[in-house]
Amino acid sequence: MSHRLVIDGQLERADFVLKLALDIDLSLPVGLMGATGAGKTTLLRILAGLEPGFRGRIAFCGEAWSDTTRASACFIPTHQRGVGLAFQDSRLLPGRTVRGNLAFAMRRASQEGMSLSFDDVVKGLYLADLLEQSTESLSGGERQRVALARALLSKPRLLLLDEPLSANDTERRLAMLAQLAIWLSAEKVPVLYVSHAQEELRRLTHQLIIMERGAVRSQGETAALLTRAMDADGVSNHHGDGEEAIVVATDADELSVVLERAAGTAVTGPSDLAPGDRVLIRRFTPDTSRRDLALQPQSKQDEPETE
Amino acid sequence: MVTKSTRLRVPVAGDLQAIWLTGLLALVTTLLLMPLATPLAWWLARSPSRAKSAIEAVVAMPLVLPPTVLGFYLLVMLNPDTFLGGLWVSATGEALTFSFAGLVIASMIYSLPFMVQPLHSAFRAVPESVMEAAATLGASPRDRFFNVGIPLARRGFLTGAVLTFAHTVGEFGVVLMMGGNIPGETRVLSIAIYEHVETLNYEAAHSLALGLLCFAFLSLWLVYRFAGERVEVIRG
Repeated sequence: MSHRLVIDGQLERADFVLKLALDIDLSLPVGLMGATGAGKTTLLRILAGLEPGFRGRIAFCGEAWSDTTRASACFIPTHQRGVGLAFQDSRLLPGRTVRGNLAFAMRRASQEGMSLSFDDVVKGLYLADLLEQSTESLSGGERQRVALARALLSKPRLLLLDEPLSANDTERRLAMLAQLAIWLSAEKVPVLYVSHAQEELRRLTHQLIIMERGAVRSQGETAALLTRAMDADGVSNHHGDGEEAIVVATDADELSVVLERAAGTAVTGPSDLAPGDRVLIRRFTPDTSRRDLALQPQSKQDEPETE
Repeated sequence: MVTKSTRLRVPVAGDLQAIWLTGLLALVTTLLLMPLATPLAWWLARSPSRAKSAIEAVVAMPLVLPPTVLGFYLLVMLNPDTFLGGLWVSATGEALTFSFAGLVIASMIYSLPFMVQPLHSAFRAVPESVMEAAATLGASPRDRFFNVGIPLARRGFLTGAVLTFAHTVGEFGVVLMMGGNIPGETRVLSIAIYEHVETLNYEAAHSLALGLLCFAFLSLWLVYRFAGERVEVIRG
C-alpha cells in the first residue's frame, strides 16, 4: 500500500512564512528536524487541519485533504482526517483522569488505523500506576506519555509525533524508544516524527527532512543526513580520508550543527563549532553504532572535537 | 408607624401566593433561558465574527436600560394588537400582556445577560489548545461542544443559573409595566412589597423584604463558595 503524502503550498503569518513543496513516501517512518522556529510543529498542524490559513494542496494516500487551488476548494476537517497528533505540550483534557483521557481517544477511534491494545500501550509507556490520577497532578514527562498513548489509541491513519519523549529522563526515553520502534514497524502506520534527538531519529526513521526558517532545507536518508562528532580515538584512527564540509548554522539550544558538503546538507550533534568553520566528516561504520561519521575541524586535526 | 415597621409578621395567604409565583417564574425563566443562552454564549466565546460586539451589546442592554423602558417596549410589542401578541392569542386564546406567560418572556429578556455572561467567560476559559487536541482525537465540533466545552464550563452554568434565578426573583419595574398586579398571575414578591408599603403595611413589607435580602445573600454565597474554587480546573 502506498502512503504518499503531497504538500504543496504556504502558510503566511504576520512574522512567519512557511513554504512547502514536499512529496514524501511514508511507507517507512519519516523524521523531521530543524532549529526552533523552523516550522516543524506548524507543518504537523497543517497536516492535522489545524491551520485554516494554509493555501495550497495536501493529499494523503491519493485523498485530497485540503485544496485551495481549484475553483471548488476542499477542506477535510481535523476530526475526519484520522490523524493522531501527540502535541509537544501534551494538551490533555482537564478535569479527566489519565484513563478518562485515553478512553476519550478510544471511543472516537477509527477502525482502519493502528490496532494497539489498551494494555500494551499502558504497559509500554509506563502508565499503569497513573491511570486513576487526574491529569493536573502529572509531571511533564508523564503528561507527554499520556499524550503519546492517547494519540496511539486513537488508531490514526497518520501518526504525527512532536517530540513525544523529550520531557522524560534518558532511561525511560530509551526504553520507550525501543518500544515505539517495535510498534511502528509492526503496525506499518505512516509516521512523521519531530525530534532534536539524533538517536531517536536514527533509531526510528528511515527518511529525514531538515527544515530551516519555514522551508525544507534537505530531504534524504536519515543515515546519510545525520553525522555525529566522534571521540578522539575514532578520529585519529580514521585520519586523512574525509569529506570536506563547512558549518553553516549552529543551534546552541538544540545542540546540533548543520553542515554543508558537496553531497548536500548534514547534521551533527553537540560541538563547539561556529558557522564558517571548515570540517572533515567521515562515514564510520554505518548503522552498527551511534558513531556513523567522524567529524573534526580541518584546521586543528590534531586536536579533534570531542562531545 | 416607626415602631410597627421594625416588627416582623408571618406572611399571609396572599404573600405565600406571591412567594410561590415568584419562585415558579424564576425557575421557569432559568430552565428556558439556559438552553437558549448556551449556544449563544458558545458562539460569542469562539466565533471570530465581527458581528459579535453588536450581539454582545444587545445581550448586555438589560443591564443598563431602566426596567421601565424594557417593560414599556415589551408591553407595546407583546400586546394582542401586534403580530407577536396576536399570534399568541390565536394559539392560546390568552393575551401575553398581564399574564404569567408574558412575564416569563419578559424575565428571559431581562435576565439574559445574567445567564449569558457567566457562560461566555466560562467558555472563553476553555483552552483552544484542548479543543484542538479533542479534534485530532476524532471529536466533531458538536462532540467537542458537549463533551469538552460544557463539562469544563460547569462553573459557569452554576453561576448563570443562580444569578438568573436570583435576578428574576428581584424583578420589579418590568413586571409592573407589562404584568401589573394580578394575584396568582403576575403579583410577584417585589410587587407585593410595593403594595404593602403603599397601603402602609410596613410589617408585611418588612418580612418579605428581609426574606429577599437573605435569599440574595445565600444565592451569592452559593456562587462564590462553589463556583469560585474550580477555576484552576478550567485553566487546565
